[in-house]
Amino acid sequence: MDIDTTRFGRIRIKESELIEMKGHILGFERHKRFVLLTVDDNPPLMWLQSVDDSAIAFVVVNPRIVEPDYAPAIFDGDLGLLEIRRTEEIALLAIVTVRSAPIRATANLRAPILINAEKRWATQTVLDDPDYPIQYDILDGKVDFKRGWSAKGSLGGNRLERVHPSCAAG
Amino acid sequence: MLILTRKLGESIAIGDEIKITFLEMAGKQLRIGIEAPRHVPVHRAEVYQAIQEQNAQASASDIRIEDIWERIARG
Repeated sequence: MDIDTTRFGRIRIKESELIEMKGHILGFERHKRFVLLTVDDNPPLMWLQSVDDSAIAFVVVNPRIVEPDYAPAIFDGDLGLLEIRRTEEIALLAIVTVRSAPIRATANLRAPILINAEKRWATQTVLDDPDYPIQYDILDGKVDFKRGWSAKGSLGGNRLERVHPSCAAG
Repeated sequence: MLILTRKLGESIAIGDEIKITFLEMAGKQLRIGIEAPRHVPVHRAEVYQAIQEQNAQASASDIRIEDIWERIARG
């Protein structure tokens, strides 16, 4: 199927690449279908593009790249909603907020997008633990992006390769 | 909005699974206890608010990933 996007123009995706929001991204309750897009050489930063609204897309990153020990306790209700029974089915994405001039990027580690990588169902989940910040600075030198860069495809235990579409937008 | 007056130690039941108990008053602070089933999310309202605002900001970003990546590569 072809979808229109504000940032990448018209792109072709397979229906099997769709990610369906069984829950929702807070404030974006009407957006139910997304697709994960990589840019060029598959850097750790990706776009989660709304299929239903060409203008809506979030920059996302595997939170394990940002915080290698990231292993939050996930709310039972959301695991149930996505019918996740084994940890291997879990993929997590942190939404990144980017501000320009000066450029600043923060990842939301408090409310990651939880994905059942097998079924491709998702929801934004809110963690109970206030130690995970909503704005975690990813450009202050602490984050070693090369780690994720060299390990592309496998990306730790997150099995994110399962939710990559084959197309690269450009 | 339903407004009720309760004494300390008293509770409010919401449905048959959720119970809120008013534990302690200290100045302007009120400590409450919440009993809810595991599938019911309980968060401070401002956490939801903050996440919603963060999402709105994130979706409005007009930057290209390549620019962020360039900034990262420069270190």
